[in-house]
Amino acid sequence: MTLKEKLIILSDSAKYDASCSSSGSTRRNSNGVGNAAYSGICHTFSSDGRCVSLLKILMTNACIFDCKYCINRRSNDVKRALFTPEEICEITMNFYKRNYIEGLFLSSGIIKSPDYTMEKIIETISLLRYKYHFNGYIHAKAIPGASEYLLKKLGKLVDRLSANIELPSDSSLKLLAPQKNVDKISTIMDTVKKNRSKSFTPAGQSTQMIIGASKETDLDILGKSEHLYNTYDLRRVFYSAYIPVNKDNLLPSIEMPPLVRENRLYQADWLLRFYNYKVDNLLDKNNPNFNVLIDPKADWALRHMEEFPKEINKASYYDLLKIPGIGPKSAKRIVSSRKYFKIEFKDLKKMGISLKRAKYFILCNGKYFTNMEIFNKRFIESNLILENKEPIKNVGVQLSLFNE
Amino acid sequence: MNDYLYDGTYSSLLGLIYTLIKSKTIPNVIKREDEYISNLFMEPIYLKLENKELINSLKKEVSMLVLYTAYYIYLSNVNNKEMIIYGFIKNAIKYKNTVFYRRDIYVVSEAIRISNQVKGEAHRMKGFLRFKKMKNFYYATIEPTHNIIWIITRHFKDRLKDECWIIKDSKRGVYAIYDLKKVTYLQENDIIKLNLDLSDDETLFEDLWKTFFKTVAIKERENLKCQMNHAPKKYWNNMLEMEDL
Ligand code: SF4
Repeated sequence: MTLKEKLIILSDSAKYDASCSSSGSTRRNSNGVGNAAYSGICHTFSSDGRCVSLLKILMTNACIFDCKYCINRRSNDVKRALFTPEEICEITMNFYKRNYIEGLFLSSGIIKSPDYTMEKIIETISLLRYKYHFNGYIHAKAIPGASEYLLKKLGKLVDRLSANIELPSDSSLKLLAPQKNVDKISTIMDTVKKNRSKSFTPAGQSTQMIIGASKETDLDILGKSEHLYNTYDLRRVFYSAYIPVNKDNLLPSIEMPPLVRENRLYQADWLLRFYNYKVDNLLDKNNPNFNVLIDPKADWALRHMEEFPKEINKASYYDLLKIPGIGPKSAKRIVSSRKYFKIEFKDLKKMGISLKRAKYFILCNGKYFTNMEIFNKRFIESNLILENKEPIKNVGVQLSLFNE
Repeated sequence: MNDYLYDGTYSSLLGLIYTLIKSKTIPNVIKREDEYISNLFMEPIYLKLENKELINSLKKEVSMLVLYTAYYIYLSNVNNKEMIIYGFIKNAIKYKNTVFYRRDIYVVSEAIRISNQVKGEAHRMKGFLRFKKMKNFYYATIEPTHNIIWIITRHFKDRLKDECWIIKDSKRGVYAIYDLKKVTYLQENDIIKLNLDLSDDETLFEDLWKTFFKTVAIKERENLKCQMNHAPKKYWNNMLEMEDL
């Protein structure tokens, strides 16, 4: 098999992992090639609009496990390939020096045993770090069930480790990935958390959940994320809209991946991490899924009209964050600027703050952007929906608004 | 109000602006001498200044952050950038570091916006630039909107310190040449002919990269608009993976 054929097989089967971030590490170029950029760098964008920053490949797509949703599962009749450590190093170095990538994201199917697979991954990355003197960013997948001492060894070599939880509940995991179990994944997360330092996964750990392959609600999923953030100091939970690659009657049959739902979860996840929201604020048992037509923050605001409109010149930092269209950057800007002058609507524009959504929810110096009469839930809601630029072709539900 | 000219260097511009502010002179326009279009009614003034001392005094009045912001604006392709720097520095002397919160003042908000734009393009270019491996060095051509070659070379010097490389801004005819020790900047005319023979493995890795780029895209998620928003077409010329699109 040529190198190119291998690359096709082993990048094709790695592409469903949503993570591609290269941020959070300050690894220096001590004596060799490369370093890490703390803010991360996108090198290109593929035709699905995703950032490409790392050479995302599997070491092998052969696997002894049989996870139902996975293209590489044992029972599938697909072409299998295996990269040698040298091949991975050569491609990484040659891509890196041409500035195609920030580094490597190495994952793998499980061959022989979890320990054997981990040893192979460690061998490859050691070669890259010590023989090729590569100081760029490396993200490696930890193999569930591998021994702790191997995990500790790997953690010292890489910038980020991840173990994908894939399914938000134990029962779904049992059903769809019978050879994995939650304990194995929690053990990995726990070890990484305990050992994390400047020389052990400086960019921390992340995980991924598949959205729409099992029956969980958004409340279940986001609740799981909140729990993971609190328990294991995860840097990121990634959400990956389920794309059917296998036929299996345990799996739902869908036409289009639930991209809007995925997007809502990302938006809500953002609110958890940077806006001080709790899952309970956003969803509850009677309301366990996000509104597909409106983003979670605006949805929250519309359900709490009594809190608005907020006076820009007075509201606290955290209150400013509740205003749709205003993020941490804008809120900070407002707080530091209003010490020096009274902020008017025209100033917000000059401050680089978009009024498109915010204007409905704020007062500037006691003034509303137009007649206060329009300040009612129905009117604002329909305007926000109409202004929404997201592709609605993938919503996957009837747009009731237009049938009213 | 008069027109003022400078020789095109950043230090001359700062020296001139500082002199104008200190003497409470309000310029009509400030231009590089080679970009100035003379008109019948106005004789422009070209001041010969000892910049070093002027800049040292300026440094005592404003922070480094102000000077960096001004430098980014200087690198921008904005037409009246000299006047924006003039207005920005005038306000920076008045408000010290709180100038960055005074976006209610038009020239300040413009200054911050433009400097962010330049910084933003420099950051993007760190990702979008592509080196080709030649026989003796790595070679990249860029065509940035702003004159950012000056601020991206450090990044590549840290990263690829054991390789010789050359980055060419083909819009402005400027070369940055790294020889394992330092970066030298040259103009098109100063360059002796470069040997642009490709290294033997160049086509192999270009092909592998294009293959990888095509394979990682998930076709069920195709979103060309999003792709274009993040990687604007104006950069595609020098991104080899975009060639066949
Ligand atoms: S262990 Fe990983 S590669 Fe193997 S079948 Fe499960 S998800 Fe796929």
